[in-house]
Amino acid sequence: MQPFLTQLIDLTLIQMTNWRWAWRSGLIVSSFIPVYLIATFGVFASSDDRVGLSYLLTGSLILSLLLIGLSRVSEHFAFMRALGTLDYFATLPIARIAFILATLIAFVVLALPSTLVTLLLATLMLHVPLTIHPLVILVLPLICLALSGLGALIGLLGQNPDEVNNLSTLVSFVLFGFGPVIVPLERLPAFVQTLSLLSPATYAASGLRQVLLGQPDRIPLTLDVIVLSAFTVGFLWFVAHRLDWRGL
Amino acid sequence: MKLAYEIDHLMYRYPRQTTWASDDLSLTIAVGEVFGLLGDNGAGKSTLVKQMANLLTPTRGSIRLFGQPLNVNNSVQHIGYMPQTGMALNNLTVGEAFYFTAHLRGLSRPDARRERDRLLNLLELGSLRDRPILRLSGGQKRLVSLASTLVASPPVVILDEPTNDLDPQNRSRVWELLRAVNAERGTTLVIVTHNVLEAEKVVQRVGIMQCGRLAAVGRPGVLKGELNRHLRLEIIFASECPPELPTDAAVTVLAPGRWLLLIEREQAPLYLAILNQTLSIEDFRLSTATLEDLYLSMVH
Repeated sequence: MQPFLTQLIDLTLIQMTNWRWAWRSGLIVSSFIPVYLIATFGVFASSDDRVGLSYLLTGSLILSLLLIGLSRVSEHFAFMRALGTLDYFATLPIARIAFILATLIAFVVLALPSTLVTLLLATLMLHVPLTIHPLVILVLPLICLALSGLGALIGLLGQNPDEVNNLSTLVSFVLFGFGPVIVPLERLPAFVQTLSLLSPATYAASGLRQVLLGQPDRIPLTLDVIVLSAFTVGFLWFVAHRLDWRGL
Repeated sequence: MKLAYEIDHLMYRYPRQTTWASDDLSLTIAVGEVFGLLGDNGAGKSTLVKQMANLLTPTRGSIRLFGQPLNVNNSVQHIGYMPQTGMALNNLTVGEAFYFTAHLRGLSRPDARRERDRLLNLLELGSLRDRPILRLSGGQKRLVSLASTLVASPPVVILDEPTNDLDPQNRSRVWELLRAVNAERGTTLVIVTHNVLEAEKVVQRVGIMQCGRLAAVGRPGVLKGELNRHLRLEIIFASECPPELPTDAAVTVLAPGRWLLLIEREQAPLYLAILNQTLSIEDFRLSTATLEDLYLSMVH
């Protein structure tokens, strides 16, 4: 049996090949929709409304991450189940957690270029100055991992790829719209403000605003990191228990 | 005799199903044996081999591998499993798929490269080395999947319909390869197949499955011995004018206008007389029974 790190590297490389033939279209789609959103909503946003514009910028980034991190990961797990890919991996001497982590890391690597493209275009379009915090190196991958972990769980919960697709679309829209992601917290109904504390997207958006725009937030950056880490570990734990790929 | 598998009163039921997919199966397979599993679609063959590969947990009963209870450690160490469905690593090239499988099975990087080249040569896939598996034909994918299963030469190889989608030439090559793998390395082979006639040349013992149970287990020659007093009669006729046969004739309809019968040897003159008098008969073949006849007689 290979050491854990060797397994992780091999499996990540294998999983990354999933878009070796389609990464251009993936990059375009996952960047186009958030940028289109900015272009549409940017028309209505006042250039004086700095808070609104910053939410629009970070919200569009979250949408980009939801599209790749959540929707595509859930789809990927659903298809791995449907096509018997899990059986192949289950017969290899590899650790289950190495396989799960490798799959998520591969999606993180895929998500980063489109996130950067979205960030670049959004900054140019909205004229919002960036103030990059060094912790961006930690926060951005952590957000990707948390959302991908949720995507993996959805991919294992649905009965078939169609059901998983519907479920992930629903969850993505709920996470995107049901919290201070693209709309500032104080402009949301009170019950949404409370419920949004249960959503990883809330902490992801808060963290992004702080590490990209240098804006103070009601939720401190440290808490964002802790909660996103907890979501990541929790989702990984559920995925590892749900991934029924070996018998005894 | 050393045993590779000891399967004891194995039961398996899928969630939300009322019938048993594996129904009280007991079986032993010796080290180095080539064991064939035959049976209709839905007979429970794949469910059985998935349990043998430790991909499903039996509802009841037990499986021992080389004398030890089957578990994650000994299954991933000793078993190569080729599933019935397509190749898992569709986005890799053929060479990458062999290399990564070999490396993940514990070979060093240089050894994994050597193993990749060995398998490319073995299955004459050298020209496809840099081609993505996604872009291969169904038969080529099947060969790649088979080769991936043989990577690092596991002592037990379970193959679920390995010759599906293959043309006659490649089917023949696969059977030859499996025979060689068994002879040269002493690999224990468990082969699920519908190609009964081809399997007969390779398997040393067969199990015929029906409704989750093993209807018969034994050497093909011994099992066929029970049919020795029978002859197989295949009749080809204009489908709109079927011949009038004795009422007790056990007919298996192979296709419209194509029947197969197993008849007692002493009945042969009677049947030949009927066929000679029937104008719609286009052709017929009378021969001794094959493993396929045994299979058909048991499952139908």
